[in-house]
Amino acid sequence: MGMLLSRVFMGLMAVWIIVPILVVCAAALNGGRTMFFPPEDPTFARFVEFFVTEEVWIRSLRNSMIIALGSAALAVIAAWPIAYWLWRKADGVSKVLAGLASMPFALPPIVFGVGLVFFWGFSGSLGNIWSGIISHAALFMALPLTTLSIGLQSLDRSHLDAAATMGASEATAFRTIILPQMLPFTASGFFFAVVLSFNEFIVVFFVSASAYSTVTVQIFNSLRNGFTPTMAVGAITFITTSIIIFSLIARFGNLPQLLGADKSK
Amino acid sequence: MMKPLSPKPGTAWSPKADQSFLHMSDLILKNIRKAYGHVTAVENANLTFESGKLTALLGPSGCGKTTLLRMIAGLEMPTSGDIILGGENIASKSAEQRKFGMVFQSFALFPHLNVARNVSYSLRIAGVDATTRRAKAQELLELVQLGDKGQRKIGQLSGGQRQRVAIARALAQEPEVFLLDEPMSALDAQLRGDLQMQLRLLQQKLGITTIVVTHDQREAMTMADQIVVMSHGRIEQIGTPQEIYHKPANSFVANFIGNANLLDGIATATGIRVGGTEIAVSDRGSFAAGQAVTLFCRPEAVALHDTEIPNSVPGTVTFVRDEGPAREIHLDTPAGHMTAEIPGSFEATVKIGDRFHAELPDGLLHLLPERSHDDEEAA
Amino acid sequence: MSKAAALPTRLAKVAYIGAVLAMCITPFLLVFAISFGEKIEGAAWVWGFQFDNYKRFFVGADYPNSISFLYLKFLWYSLYYAMIASILAVATCFPFVWLMTRLSRRAQTVWLVFFLASLTLSEVFVVMGWDILLSNRSGLPALFKETGLTDLLKETGWFDVLRSWGLASPRNVRFKPTEFATILTMTYLVWPYAVILLYPPLSKINNEIIEAARTMGAGPVTVVRTVVLPMVRTPIVGTVLLLFVFLLGAYVTIAVFAAPEKHTLSISVYEAVRGATLNAPFGSAQAIILLIAAAVVLVFSRMALERGEK
Repeated sequence: MGMLLSRVFMGLMAVWIIVPILVVCAAALNGGRTMFFPPEDPTFARFVEFFVTEEVWIRSLRNSMIIALGSAALAVIAAWPIAYWLWRKADGVSKVLAGLASMPFALPPIVFGVGLVFFWGFSGSLGNIWSGIISHAALFMALPLTTLSIGLQSLDRSHLDAAATMGASEATAFRTIILPQMLPFTASGFFFAVVLSFNEFIVVFFVSASAYSTVTVQIFNSLRNGFTPTMAVGAITFITTSIIIFSLIARFGNLPQLLGADKSK
Repeated sequence: MMKPLSPKPGTAWSPKADQSFLHMSDLILKNIRKAYGHVTAVENANLTFESGKLTALLGPSGCGKTTLLRMIAGLEMPTSGDIILGGENIASKSAEQRKFGMVFQSFALFPHLNVARNVSYSLRIAGVDATTRRAKAQELLELVQLGDKGQRKIGQLSGGQRQRVAIARALAQEPEVFLLDEPMSALDAQLRGDLQMQLRLLQQKLGITTIVVTHDQREAMTMADQIVVMSHGRIEQIGTPQEIYHKPANSFVANFIGNANLLDGIATATGIRVGGTEIAVSDRGSFAAGQAVTLFCRPEAVALHDTEIPNSVPGTVTFVRDEGPAREIHLDTPAGHMTAEIPGSFEATVKIGDRFHAELPDGLLHLLPERSHDDEEAA
Repeated sequence: MSKAAALPTRLAKVAYIGAVLAMCITPFLLVFAISFGEKIEGAAWVWGFQFDNYKRFFVGADYPNSISFLYLKFLWYSLYYAMIASILAVATCFPFVWLMTRLSRRAQTVWLVFFLASLTLSEVFVVMGWDILLSNRSGLPALFKETGLTDLLKETGWFDVLRSWGLASPRNVRFKPTEFATILTMTYLVWPYAVILLYPPLSKINNEIIEAARTMGAGPVTVVRTVVLPMVRTPIVGTVLLLFVFLLGAYVTIAVFAAPEKHTLSISVYEAVRGATLNAPFGSAQAIILLIAAAVVLVFSRMALERGEK
């Protein structure tokens, strides 16, 4: 009885989360130019438009990917030294630095977005795709910082002692012991950042220009100017990417541990 | 197929260790002290680790034995003192310069490398070529009877196998000193006995200077040429297993190594007066008559008699612990609580309430300095 | 040994710290500095140190001749939507996560992948989905009409109740633009976040504690009420607050679902900085006030929580 009740409750919650997603996916099948649900005259023509024929979507998809991959890589590279420093020394400077580096992620993104407009405005690169990449790297640096810190904490310090008694200097131990064992955590941090950057709207909305816009900004523009089912294809692309990436993290890393579950269970 | 490692102690099993070198390479600690702020972890340790011998650092947890081992390895720097190896003071050298092989309590095997690559790790970072590395790893794995497990992942090994991989890995760099930190503590009790013997045989075969940290007196006695008993950062006694067991320097050592009867009394010209009884003790040390001292006697030395005889105290049985091969008889005597160990048997020869005269045979007694309560707690 | 690092290494270190700080901190400092600046008619703005922007926020530009609380109202709606939606999300999410953490590790991983995927879903997609579901020509209103539910509501008199709540037009139910749609979408937006934030503390609760309570006669609901909830009270409040801060920045939801007179600061900040009104100093001031409001709520909640713990 109680078992059944809890199953039903969990099912209902899953439905509540999944319905809007399904609606978006189904809307992509609409034959006409307007969004209907359930779709009228189902067709895959919208997919062709999104990926092949419509220049504006192809360009924004490319921008989204460049920004997501570039910023995630940059975020990982920027987060590594702080995470390592924090783990090795745990001194005041590294703690403050880690706190400050997490600020853009922790505070309402709209404020960071406003600040970035000024920041890039002063350096004259507002609307430049580079500024988008760096902005997202700063925004999402907190993610690799977190996964790397979790990973380093799970590292057995006696491994470093063992390496030292076998003649490894700190640099050698880092290269041969820490780095290989941290690969899953580095990858997780990278992919978390990729997915979030891919889906980020507000900050890119602030710093982008008509010269480049990402898929999210493009969809928002079409939301205001009336729907086209083509943008639903963008949504499907994103959801599929997210599910694939998180499944990969779950498959090759320990997702419950990364999310802070008890390790022993 | 494989060229065996040199079997006799004292002959070179590695290019580094030629005959003359081996005789010189005693490891000597002079006034080694380690303090963390106000806490002293190790106090004035003066020790000689003879070349080719196995020394056990024995003591309860927190006695400073692991800190001492880590200072020898170079993982901790002593606050003061010298560490001398082959005439050279190495106290300021780092762990990676000393390259003493070490086996860690958790074994610290690298999960991202397979067994063979774990073993050849030190060779790889020293720039040894791949062929030599493979051959050496195979040689060492065969030495620890894991010749067919080289390609396994660490996660696929049992605890005992992991320990042997850790040993092989520490030996791969042909260290001058071989260190083991509680190497058995992560293993099942059943396995330990076997592995202790195997480790001792391997060490004798290689003739390598070895230091083992342990809190298990049985393990120390099984393996060691020399035992160093420590407590509260101090060295309590240094000696062979027999010396430590039969002639403990103080009541802490007596209690920590096996069971001991410790009876408080006053030294007399011929022995000790305990509980109103005069006991003759030939080995009475240099205590002045009238000084408070402690009488030491192992339970198996105590003999139980029905009638009163010299050098005995009367006692009433309060508990009988039958361990199978032996029986531990607990007695209440005027001199205090005592235990006697007698051979086990099917018949219940002793029961609670029985009265005996417990003989303390002169040749097996020693006088120790008056014991303190700290020692009882530690034991 | 390597106490004094080589000069190039130290330079690299300094440059690295400088770059990180520049990217993470300067934007916030700029917002703060520019909020005291002055807008020049027809041009951009100049640096300054005056409080006109803040004055305008609280009492309007024309004070003391006239007084306007327009921006205070925006602030109120920012806080209102965010607080209601975050509380709703945690209240519905908590029982779900509790049940989820009692499943096998494998099942938990599958659920986590599902929620992570929906968590990263951009605000624009979520809004798009609910927009389709709630808009008048498709989705639920159309469904209500087709199935005759609208007529049924009219017959039973519930339709008038809905109308008085603003959830219906004379002809059919209507969800856009309404507070209902806004809060619903915002709740949806943070629901997966609530899962991820509540998961660690709940998954750490040992099953033996639950079994101990059950051997003492507590039913499942009693266990949750008397054992689980008190154990995770602090993380629950923490989660509400994190979601609250996150929702303060919601933009697309408000732009699509809220009526213009019930817009929030996010909208007016964007309008001022990059939109039609173009008044960067005033936009900055609004952003700073949003931050301060968030900080005040956080500090008060923490104080209340700490007092509750004593």
